[in-house]
Amino acid sequence: MPDEFHISSLVVHCRRESAADVATALRAMDGMEVHGGVPEGKLVVTLETTTESEIVERLNQVQLLAGVLAATLVYHQFEPTSRREASTGGCRHGTLAP
Amino acid sequence: MELSRRDMMKAQAAAAAAAAANVTLPAQAQNIQLGEELRLKWDKAPCRFCGTGCGVMVGVKDGRVVATHGDMRAEVNRGLNCVKGYFLSKIMYGADRLTRPLMRMRNGRFDKEGELQPVSWDQAFDTMAAYWKRVLKEKGPEAVGMFGSGQWTLWEGYAASKLMRAGFRSNNLDPNARHCMASAAVAFIRTFGMDEPMGCYDDFEHADAFVLWGSNMAEMHPILWTRVTDRRLSAEHVRIHTLSTYEHRTTDLSDAAVIFKPGSDLAILNYIANHIIRSGAVNREFVEKHVNFRLANTDIGYGLRPEHVLEQRAQHANDAQVSQPADFDAYARLVSEYTLDRAYELSGVPKPQLEALAKLYADPNTKVMSLWTMGFNQHVRGVWANHMVYNLHLLTGKISEPGNSPFSLTGQPSACGTAREVGTFSHRLPADMLVANPEHRKHAEHLWKLPDGLLPGKIGFHAVEQDRMLKDGKLNAYWIMCNNNLQTAPNTGNETYPGYRNPQNLIVCSDPYPTVTTMAADIVLPTAMWVEKEGAYGNAERRTHFWHQLVDAPGEARSDLWQLMEFSKRFTTDEVWPAEILARAPEYRGKTLHDVLFRNGQVDRFPLAEMAPGYENRESKEMGFYVQKGLFEEYAAFGRGHGHDLAPFDTYHEVRGLRWPVVDGKETRWRYREGLDPYVEKGTGIQFYGNPDKRANIMGAPYEPPAEAPDAEYDLWLVTGRVLEHWHSGSMTLRVPELYKAFPGAVLFMHPEDAQKRGLRRGQEVRIASRRGEIRSRVETRGRNKVPRGVVFVPFFDASQLINKVTLDATDPISKQSDFKKCAVKVVAATTQAAAP
Repeated sequence: MPDEFHISSLVVHCRRESAADVATALRAMDGMEVHGGVPEGKLVVTLETTTESEIVERLNQVQLLAGVLAATLVYHQFEPTSRREASTGGCRHGTLAP
Repeated sequence: MELSRRDMMKAQAAAAAAAAANVTLPAQAQNIQLGEELRLKWDKAPCRFCGTGCGVMVGVKDGRVVATHGDMRAEVNRGLNCVKGYFLSKIMYGADRLTRPLMRMRNGRFDKEGELQPVSWDQAFDTMAAYWKRVLKEKGPEAVGMFGSGQWTLWEGYAASKLMRAGFRSNNLDPNARHCMASAAVAFIRTFGMDEPMGCYDDFEHADAFVLWGSNMAEMHPILWTRVTDRRLSAEHVRIHTLSTYEHRTTDLSDAAVIFKPGSDLAILNYIANHIIRSGAVNREFVEKHVNFRLANTDIGYGLRPEHVLEQRAQHANDAQVSQPADFDAYARLVSEYTLDRAYELSGVPKPQLEALAKLYADPNTKVMSLWTMGFNQHVRGVWANHMVYNLHLLTGKISEPGNSPFSLTGQPSACGTAREVGTFSHRLPADMLVANPEHRKHAEHLWKLPDGLLPGKIGFHAVEQDRMLKDGKLNAYWIMCNNNLQTAPNTGNETYPGYRNPQNLIVCSDPYPTVTTMAADIVLPTAMWVEKEGAYGNAERRTHFWHQLVDAPGEARSDLWQLMEFSKRFTTDEVWPAEILARAPEYRGKTLHDVLFRNGQVDRFPLAEMAPGYENRESKEMGFYVQKGLFEEYAAFGRGHGHDLAPFDTYHEVRGLRWPVVDGKETRWRYREGLDPYVEKGTGIQFYGNPDKRANIMGAPYEPPAEAPDAEYDLWLVTGRVLEHWHSGSMTLRVPELYKAFPGAVLFMHPEDAQKRGLRRGQEVRIASRRGEIRSRVETRGRNKVPRGVVFVPFFDASQLINKVTLDATDPISKQSDFKKCAVKVVAATTQAAAP
């Protein structure tokens, strides 16, 4: 049982006419959430996983979807699942610079 | 874990992505500032990998890099990161990192046949110095050499150039960039009299059409690809045409995927030129005012060993670089042979595709950005291919303005900065000067405060020639820094490895990690990498960018800069310079090379107090002065006032890079056009001021076939290259578990019908054999790379499948860059009845 969870975000560029379909396909994938960008063809997506390798796997899946031109990572943060550790600082990685 | 906290993190992640994509998210407040204490110290650095030059933010905690993300303030990538850059924080922490010098030992002393064992720096350097001195004494400067890197920082390349040329008086210094973009660099000089692109990445947002020549940009330059796709999405009329010898991610995503037979790009380019001329699309005024015509020598051979039959047969193998003045009509006659029919016949590309492509270039209202990388450069006619694309832009005047841009992409982070601008090639000095030019040498001697006549004028051995000379026992003391040449050089089984193990030679290799090259070396020096030292890179768009040392290297690992400067202390001028030079300049007597090269009153002129507070700087502390600043300022003197102006040192630590020439504090985005480039005189419109007459050269050349083509026995084309997850030979990226899992072992990409014809199944183990050697791999008939019938593709990152045992050491005869894209192989099942013992 992994003891951490990862939140990352990506920008998915797609052909504008396929953006809605791509968004639907992404929503059906585990841990994916589409936050916007459908009109622009630049989908703003967050991804929750329990390991980093799942991020890479999911990224590869996204890149191979029909209509996707590019999928690029932006942000990555991971924390231990245990709340106590998290609330005492734990390790928080990949957050944006202040 | 509270749900609300997770939601908050997600909102932050989404906000960062939205900002990077320039997308407005609906309603909910998007505050990306964290309301919690981070305990990470963040600093900027350019990415360690490709030539794109993305800015990353590096998060350090307790002396370790623990996080990176795309730098929102970096113009190049605007917060985005590719998958390699995303996991940058891990490349320094592979379990097998080298932390102590190693030397082959037997019975307590150096022995080339011994095992690699840990030794002290002194033991390693003493052994090296004794060997260097003996070789210099017995055989002279031509028997020592160094193979460097487009991944060196500017000052590492600069220190290496000084040590080799001025210290050891040898031009046997070449970078691995020779394998990567020598053809591009040579063609720039031949066409414009100055290296590097006239345009920049801002062209992406202005072009109406993108033509990719031999570039799988979606996988190899993913961040620049997002800028191309952004442009494609934001303007309906924009089109992307991609030319390649096989289908890949980029062709999938393009409006036109143009698949041609290997080597026939030359015919396509000449057809387009012919179309431009015949359709009346030549920009007459531009051509008359700004262009000269020349015709290249033809039948120029393939850069193989001189005794090779192909060299013997070639008419101009020995004067391949020569060209003759010509005029428009002579050039038009040459390209008139390349009709649509002929181009189709040679390339196999459907005629409507060829015509559509030609029309893009011919249409005066379509701004075209041409982009290319290894497909063009690793080509036995790579210089010609580069010329031919400039010809199209020059015929139509589509150059040096936003969106009209022939743009050579690069594969290494400082291929432009270190290999080209600093001049670590065997024929170059800083700022586009040449070792063969006596005036240039004199200028360098003056700027380096060295005696007249010290610098050697003979061009040194280039990369492929170094391997041959090691094998032949003519190059004996050899230092490899910051590259993995045994994996990446061509025909390594016959031409590289034998030289490394030649008993006459001492091979030294500096690297952060064990590689096939370190394993074949006699002395292995552990190297500090990336943010373990203060550094500077120059990217593909002339952008110079800096970073501070942010963490310490592990164990005894030290930067290449420290290694070079420290090694120079072990030689005196009396030991390595000719007596007649010292007789003329006795004040140099009795000094170490370190004294005359690095304590010359220039390099050592900035005290430690000038270093930015809060950053470690090991080299400077050990040497007692601000080493990087001194080296940079001395180097910058070469280019200031000569079109290569760099800003003052300290500026670069503040900004996210600047594109040279930097004049009056301002960078230059487009060169050679009035109003955009401060070097162009008023009223001239355009000046290609790298050439004395301020004109660019259109160079006419024909199609000539590759060095080797499939025949009855070796019946397939072999193309090699990279994949997204791994960078070059994989010595860094394979340390990252996530990247390793994504693409663990190289495979042979093959057309399903070719596999079926040979009775091969997907996943089956096969032998890939050429006339040089063979490797084993597994067949892949699906996946991201779809090769046409008759072509196979193998990536070169996998050290367990050294595909370069199979490749041919043919080079472009002008640039000396190897062709990794075209040789003949056969593929058979690994265990057949016939092969069984």
